[in-house]
Amino acid sequence: MSKHLLKFTVNGKSHALLVQSHERLLDVLRDRLGLKGTKEGCSTGDCGICAVLMNGKLVNSCLIFAIQARNKEIVTIEGIGTPENLHPLQRAFMKWNASQCGYCIPAMILASKQLLDRNPNPTDEDIRRATSGIICRCTGYVKIFEAIKTAAAEMKVKSR
Amino acid sequence: MRRFDMFVPENVGDLLQYLDTHQTGVYLIANGTDLVNRIQRKQVKPKTLVDLTGLQEFNYVRKENGRIKIGALTTVSELIASPLMDSPYDVFREVAMKFGGPSIINMATIGGNICSASSSEDLLPVLLVLEADVKVRSINGERTVPIEEFVKGKRTTGLRSNEILVETSFPELSANSICSFEKVGMRNSLIIAFVNCAVYLELEKQSKALNDVRIAFNRVTGKIPQRARQTEKTLKGQKLNEQSLTNAATTLRNELKLTSDFRVSEEYRMDVACAIFKRTLLRAAQKLTGEKIIV
Repeated sequence: MSKHLLKFTVNGKSHALLVQSHERLLDVLRDRLGLKGTKEGCSTGDCGICAVLMNGKLVNSCLIFAIQARNKEIVTIEGIGTPENLHPLQRAFMKWNASQCGYCIPAMILASKQLLDRNPNPTDEDIRRATSGIICRCTGYVKIFEAIKTAAAEMKVKSR
Repeated sequence: MRRFDMFVPENVGDLLQYLDTHQTGVYLIANGTDLVNRIQRKQVKPKTLVDLTGLQEFNYVRKENGRIKIGALTTVSELIASPLMDSPYDVFREVAMKFGGPSIINMATIGGNICSASSSEDLLPVLLVLEADVKVRSINGERTVPIEEFVKGKRTTGLRSNEILVETSFPELSANSICSFEKVGMRNSLIIAFVNCAVYLELEKQSKALNDVRIAFNRVTGKIPQRARQTEKTLKGQKLNEQSLTNAATTLRNELKLTSDFRVSEEYRMDVACAIFKRTLLRAAQKLTGEKIIV
């Protein structure tokens, strides 16, 4: 089985590593780079839990083979804030207790980030649509939507 | 994950050369929204995957020589972001709203949706009513095939093992014509349709009679998207009113040969097909005339 040299950027840091053909982006992020924030759900593209941003766009890392991410910029949940300096979305999710088991939350936050980066004034419908690819089986979504609205308001104040 | 090799071509020449000499167990992959699922379920056992994602020259939406041309590697979200997809081509935005969540529309490509050729590909009914062509390329050259001939059956297309699909295109719509799309599944997005329907209609300016009408469903007589030509015939030349729609629905009921599956029963699928067919047709007419037709 052939190996490929994968050069890409993850959370602003350049990486070059040898990957096998069948290794998925998800596997490389978690097992090779130790970024365990990205979770594995269904592995077939149905649940959206493994979502990351690739060149700013939300994608399912279980459907992308690692070598297909060559020359791309990946952002995972580890890349959008630190415990000392949380992203407004992370703060708002904490404020609203929007996370119960927490498994879908990295993907929810990245999906919300993709939304707010493009649309600072989302309607309720926009928020539902933006997170519709990610399945949460605990919260009933209401607190998640409230958190996204709070973060949107905070980010708007900041950008003034 | 099953083990396989990945061939990563540097350019289209290398790709076509490779496909000409390697044919057993070779599968083309773009962003994998359909194929990875099938590999995981062991429905497909590739020896080699050929990565198409580097060939970004096939990522475009353009208007040229009276046709709208869409490169095979264009994703659904890239397609609907194109200014060319404003009215009257907003049917593609109607599709995208129901196609899948944001990550799926960011990944799924137009070429992938055509080549997957299953009864749940939401773009196929739309391309059928637009009478689209597909352009395929091999080391020996290019050929153009009407999409209706290209999609031969469930998971079967006219793509030969040394070919790739490079583009789909369809004639520009005239000022009197429009398309609309509707889909019904278990929920609004991220779901596989048990019925979807696309219509194209062209209205006579003065009388508002249907000069031309094309109707396609994800299933008509088999498990692939097809046109419902008998129903089209019933409607041609008619005005849209209760009488013509009732007649058309009766024809449609006879024309559709549906089956039950794990999603829904045959009877329910039929009732939904007849209901959304009317809804899609009326919405198309409303988009064109600006008048709501109440039936």
